[in-house]
Amino acid sequence: MKRTGWIALALVLVLFPLSFDDPYYEQLGSLVLLAAISASAWNLIGGYAGQVSVGNAIFFGAGAYMPLLFYKLWMVSPLFGFPAGIAVSIVIAVIIGIPTFRLSGHYFSMATIAVAELIRIVVSNWDFLGASIGLTGPAVARDWSDLIFRSSTPYYYMFLAVLVLLLFITYRIERSRFGYYLRAIRSGERAARSLGVPVSRCKLYIFMLSATFTSLAGSLYVVKFGFVDPSSGFGTLISVNMVIIAAFGGAGRLLGPLLGAVILIPLQSEANSFFGGGGTGLTYIIYGAIIMLIARYEPGGLLEMWDRFRERRASRRNKALERAQADSKVQNSTAG
Amino acid sequence: MLLKAENVSMQFGGFRAVSGASLEINQGEIIGLIGPNGAGKSTFFNCLVGDLRPTEGRVWFDGHDVTQASPEEHAKLGIGRTFQLPATFEDLSILDNVMVGAFLRHPRVSDALEAAHRVLELTGLSEIAQQKAKTLGTPGRKRLEIARVLATEPKLMLLDEALAGLTPVEVRRAIELVRKIHQSGVTLVIVEHIMEVILTLTDRVLVFNQGKVIASGKPSDVVNDPAVVEAYLGRSLSRQKGRAA
Repeated sequence: MKRTGWIALALVLVLFPLSFDDPYYEQLGSLVLLAAISASAWNLIGGYAGQVSVGNAIFFGAGAYMPLLFYKLWMVSPLFGFPAGIAVSIVIAVIIGIPTFRLSGHYFSMATIAVAELIRIVVSNWDFLGASIGLTGPAVARDWSDLIFRSSTPYYYMFLAVLVLLLFITYRIERSRFGYYLRAIRSGERAARSLGVPVSRCKLYIFMLSATFTSLAGSLYVVKFGFVDPSSGFGTLISVNMVIIAAFGGAGRLLGPLLGAVILIPLQSEANSFFGGGGTGLTYIIYGAIIMLIARYEPGGLLEMWDRFRERRASRRNKALERAQADSKVQNSTAG
Repeated sequence: MLLKAENVSMQFGGFRAVSGASLEINQGEIIGLIGPNGAGKSTFFNCLVGDLRPTEGRVWFDGHDVTQASPEEHAKLGIGRTFQLPATFEDLSILDNVMVGAFLRHPRVSDALEAAHRVLELTGLSEIAQQKAKTLGTPGRKRLEIARVLATEPKLMLLDEALAGLTPVEVRRAIELVRKIHQSGVTLVIVEHIMEVILTLTDRVLVFNQGKVIASGKPSDVVNDPAVVEAYLGRSLSRQKGRAA
């Protein structure tokens, strides 16, 4: 992307909350960023390394539960729960990753689904974690460190800062040896191995990084909403959401998940208010349709579609140019 | 001695694909592995590069016992291999394919880029370096596989039917490339069906039949060995005659 494009994108993201006075849009903006963070975190393992995790809600849930658990136990600021959520997430990532990353194929995806459901069921029945009712944070801010604000705007900028950090790290990885290795693994594990790529280790490292940022997304979610229960923390839809948003925009592309979130989250929010309480089921139906459309017509997502469109236009222009040159040559020779 | 395989056997359930094959390769040689389809060449090949762990026997490379080593470790020690069916990274550009190989010895991006461009120059892929690998046909893919392995700077390179499926002109170009690689100091093992390749390139051949090495020696001698003619050339000749009739 050109420099002007980056600057324009940065301006839009920074100025967005200032251009609306409507709390609905402020709220929507922060939801888009939150979805972009978790989808971008999924993109590391699912997009770049091509290891489709359908259980990243494990980390989201761990990140969401830990701050409120710390508050429940010791009445401390939820900020203390952030590193705890990350630590728990990394441990779980290692436990899932070490046995499954030796195998290629779908074992990893299956393991992530199984572990996510297992954890959701355990948490739903564990009183220590509030069982099916979940956990609640402080109702009123005691001081700034409770991170409770009336308006959505402070959350928006907090989320934006985390997203920028994540995208910056992703950008650096993309251009490093590690990034090349991840793309090689996605393209062909056996061949990557034969060229000396430490496949299992690369997959494990990127999964740990993905877990870290997904957990952070969960923690950010919970400081904004002050409440989490098993389905909003560990629900299957949380995992699926990340996959769809990233794949829709463009998996394995730096800005794919952000694009996906910018389009799908407002759509989701509109659909929910349009259909009222009965609309939540419809979200699943829409998602199913999107999955089918992406898988059938555009596995590379919107960004790849755009690339192809530009390529086609460029090649058409080149051909027209060549034809014009050939024509003028013919004219010259007949004239001569 | 660069590589030594001693009594290597590979058993798949009740089927013994390779049975007691031995091989010694000296620095600077070109060795050919030939034999009819299903003779165990590829299985033996895969035992040498770490894709399969032999059920019996030992393999040493450059003083290391590599019998149980992973493909990654083989690559690190300096054993490079191509695949019978090209396994290029389809979505990556040709340059990036070679970069992945180059990173093995050059962790820094700028160094790897330089090394990759050297290899692309040598293999004649420079001009199309920015194209995606999936735009290549079979000859291009085979060439790219060789380039990618070359970028790992191997001491020993094993080519698994790297020239199969090419037109005679392409075969000649590929032979030239293999010669160039050999001259740069790489020892080679070639699995091949095309006799022209074996006769013009190799110093020594091993003939496989039904999982066993039935002959070895100079290509010109081996071709006249009655057991070999019977097992391999005889059959393919008679098949050709049948087709002509």
